[in-house]
Amino acid sequence: MKSASMKGSIIRNGATNGAASILPFPSASSSGSCRAQRNDLLNALRVSESPVIVDLSDRRTLRVEDIDLLLECLALVAGRDTQVVFVAGSNTNRVLLEVTRISSLAPVFNSMKEVFAHPQRAAERDAEDPSKDHQGASQSQTVWSA
Amino acid sequence: MELGAFVMVPGGDDFTGLREAQPHGLAAFENPRALYSSRMPILGNDVLQSWMERVRKLGVQSLWLASGAGVEAATSALAHFARQGIKRLLVIELKSYAEMDLADLLRFHCERRNPVTEAHDARGQLGVRLLDRPSVRATGEEHDSSCPPTESVRSPYQFSGYAKRILSAGERQELVGDGLTGACAMRPLGTQIREQVWVGEGVKVATSARVIGPTYIGSHTIVRAGATIGPFASVERDCVVDCGTTVERSTVLPDTYLAPGLLIRNGLVDGGHLEHLGWRAVADLEQAGLGGRIPRRASRRESFSSDTTDACSQGDNAFAWNLGSSSAAAQPWLEVQL
Repeated sequence: MKSASMKGSIIRNGATNGAASILPFPSASSSGSCRAQRNDLLNALRVSESPVIVDLSDRRTLRVEDIDLLLECLALVAGRDTQVVFVAGSNTNRVLLEVTRISSLAPVFNSMKEVFAHPQRAAERDAEDPSKDHQGASQSQTVWSA
Repeated sequence: MELGAFVMVPGGDDFTGLREAQPHGLAAFENPRALYSSRMPILGNDVLQSWMERVRKLGVQSLWLASGAGVEAATSALAHFARQGIKRLLVIELKSYAEMDLADLLRFHCERRNPVTEAHDARGQLGVRLLDRPSVRATGEEHDSSCPPTESVRSPYQFSGYAKRILSAGERQELVGDGLTGACAMRPLGTQIREQVWVGEGVKVATSARVIGPTYIGSHTIVRAGATIGPFASVERDCVVDCGTTVERSTVLPDTYLAPGLLIRNGLVDGGHLEHLGWRAVADLEQAGLGGRIPRRASRRESFSSDTTDACSQGDNAFAWNLGSSSAAAQPWLEVQL
């Protein structure tokens, strides 16, 4: 399942049969496009009532402004029923999400495929030992379901 | 001369080249690799010092040091040894910490009468070998490589004592844990302030910070309010751990700054880079605004530019040998009196 084909769309979660929005994390090279993507993401999070999957797969690494934006995303949905899930896309991103403690605030998965395949199992497996299986999620307390 | 000793210090230069080749930073790398040199302290200790002490116990008066590239320096040094007419040469590649009795290795080598004896443990070569004169001469004259001649003439010396590869972040962290718990001979360089907690001189720990043993905090490191260090943590000298950051089952190498509120778990941080042992990935903390390298203090800079041929110094000064200096370029190895 290619995440690129699903970006910005509303799809159904295979595990729970619920609806979720997939939003790409800003990755444009030009600052104008990047700003537009950033606004799109924040606006979508502001109004969304369904779970939101923020996909970082196109980002090889994260900069200061990216960390700020991720925290802003979490702040936007805090206190609401809207749930945010992050798709890290790489182990490097996963490390940064753990270091910043973002992964303790929202579930993190390695790929879109994992989110829709077996989110609960992946989360449990990851909680045991991340070094044994790098395909799991880094957050076990909150199992995402749409 | 009966026995000569030669220590090769790998690493360092490779990382510089890698950095230049990666304009977008190392974070793009998923491959774990050593971001640090074998000269980086472990619980405040210099592994080179421990090897030098073992060599000194053999009665050797001086040893030769070479860094980085290795082959050219090693070949040159070996040729030098051959010309001096030494009988045997002990070659140590500084990639492991091993509590090895070199006298026993020497005895084994002499008894077997093999031209080359290579020390192994259960995981393979430890980077310690003894060469007899013909092997030294052959290696030096042929300008072959830093490695001794063919595999066929090597005799393995099986070492069953304590050994860890210090260029592997995982084994390095195991060594830290073993040093903190007394499972190996290496002890943290500092004062034990309570059970399984050691600190170096000039350490500042905020009253609201938590230090959970077993833990080591190196000299002149600052731990700010609300931070948590440990268990099984080693924060080496001249670091700053900012407010609320947790360092757990990890090593923070010298001159590293960690921003507030971070969670460093199962990792090795060297300046702006974090190698995560679980995810086997290297993250660029500096680019993410989460950490970085602290400029060295003036006094340390001076010590780094000091005369590299000085006799073996103790403590932090042990890190003063700049093996990659311009003088080393003219002569790719240097002699150190033991």
